[in-house]
Amino acid sequence: MELYLPWWITGTALSVITLGFYIALNRPLGVSGSWARIVLWKNDKVIKEAEAPFQNNPKLFEDALMAATIEEFGEETVLEYMQSRHKSDDTTPVKPLTRSVSPNRSPWTAHLVFLIMLVLGGMLGAYLRGDLHIQATLGELHTSLFGSGIGSLMMLFFGGIMVGFGTQMAGGCTSGHGLSGFSRLAPASIIATITFFGTAIAFSTAAHYLG
Amino acid sequence: MRTYFYYSLFGLAMGATLSMAGLSDYTQIHSLFILENIPLLLVFALAIGMNMVGFMILSRNKKTPKKKLTKGTISGSILFGIGWALTGACPSIALVQLGEGKIAALATVAGILAGVWFYRRATSSALKFDTGICGEE
Repeated sequence: MELYLPWWITGTALSVITLGFYIALNRPLGVSGSWARIVLWKNDKVIKEAEAPFQNNPKLFEDALMAATIEEFGEETVLEYMQSRHKSDDTTPVKPLTRSVSPNRSPWTAHLVFLIMLVLGGMLGAYLRGDLHIQATLGELHTSLFGSGIGSLMMLFFGGIMVGFGTQMAGGCTSGHGLSGFSRLAPASIIATITFFGTAIAFSTAAHYLG
Repeated sequence: MRTYFYYSLFGLAMGATLSMAGLSDYTQIHSLFILENIPLLLVFALAIGMNMVGFMILSRNKKTPKKKLTKGTISGSILFGIGWALTGACPSIALVQLGEGKIAALATVAGILAGVWFYRRATSSALKFDTGICGEE
């Protein structure tokens, strides 16, 4: 079945997409994060309201930081530190605050657009392959592994819950841990990618040969 | 506006690429998981390999933040692995399948939405281990 493009074309395209995303949006690609931002859409409002006074008045932010520092370490320690800074010739310039409280956040609606475009992208891909039509069946291999009918729909739903819960718990999915984390050699991402690929292979292989 | 443009562009390109690679085809992905479809594994391997070189060049002059290992990394990945095997879908593939007209993916999408919601509910009250949001580290 030569329905699909060769691996070296799609592999290259995926890499161009990951790197392009990183260059254009200054953050690593991660689809599970977009799901979280949409589910947590109400937080955007809360954060915006909490940030509003600081956005207009940076001095207020410095005061709040100082108050929090005093609360954490005690007034004496803070005073001592300030005096020691004055006494010694510590002239290291303090880095000016250039960013708002939460850098690198895009609005949740941008993440929603991203997920919707993934759906449309799937539509475009299927159209280009000449295979865009409503399909109710899941294919022979799926049926032989996990059955068909209403039971298999339930299985898709519960499997979906595991995908949703698991990726949030692991802090990333195939794109975040796999495409962008693994290749930046983040140990957590390498461990995660090997674990989810390994588990999926072990699970399906067991279902195939034992089931 | 620029942000929306890029999210749209990369979403569309990624969806189309995943679809044309066959990663959203139940038969293809299951045959990968029973190790009878190595070319599909090569799609992923090649992309990671090229990204390694790309990120090395891009992060020459600046430090890029990396994900941290948390209590949830391994157990979460095991859960995700089983879910991926059962549904043939990861968080992006479920949406691509839906776009291709595979209507059963509606059940997967509903499940993912419920799973994400459960996790976020759980971390905000009972279980105190927030593992962060992917892409915002």
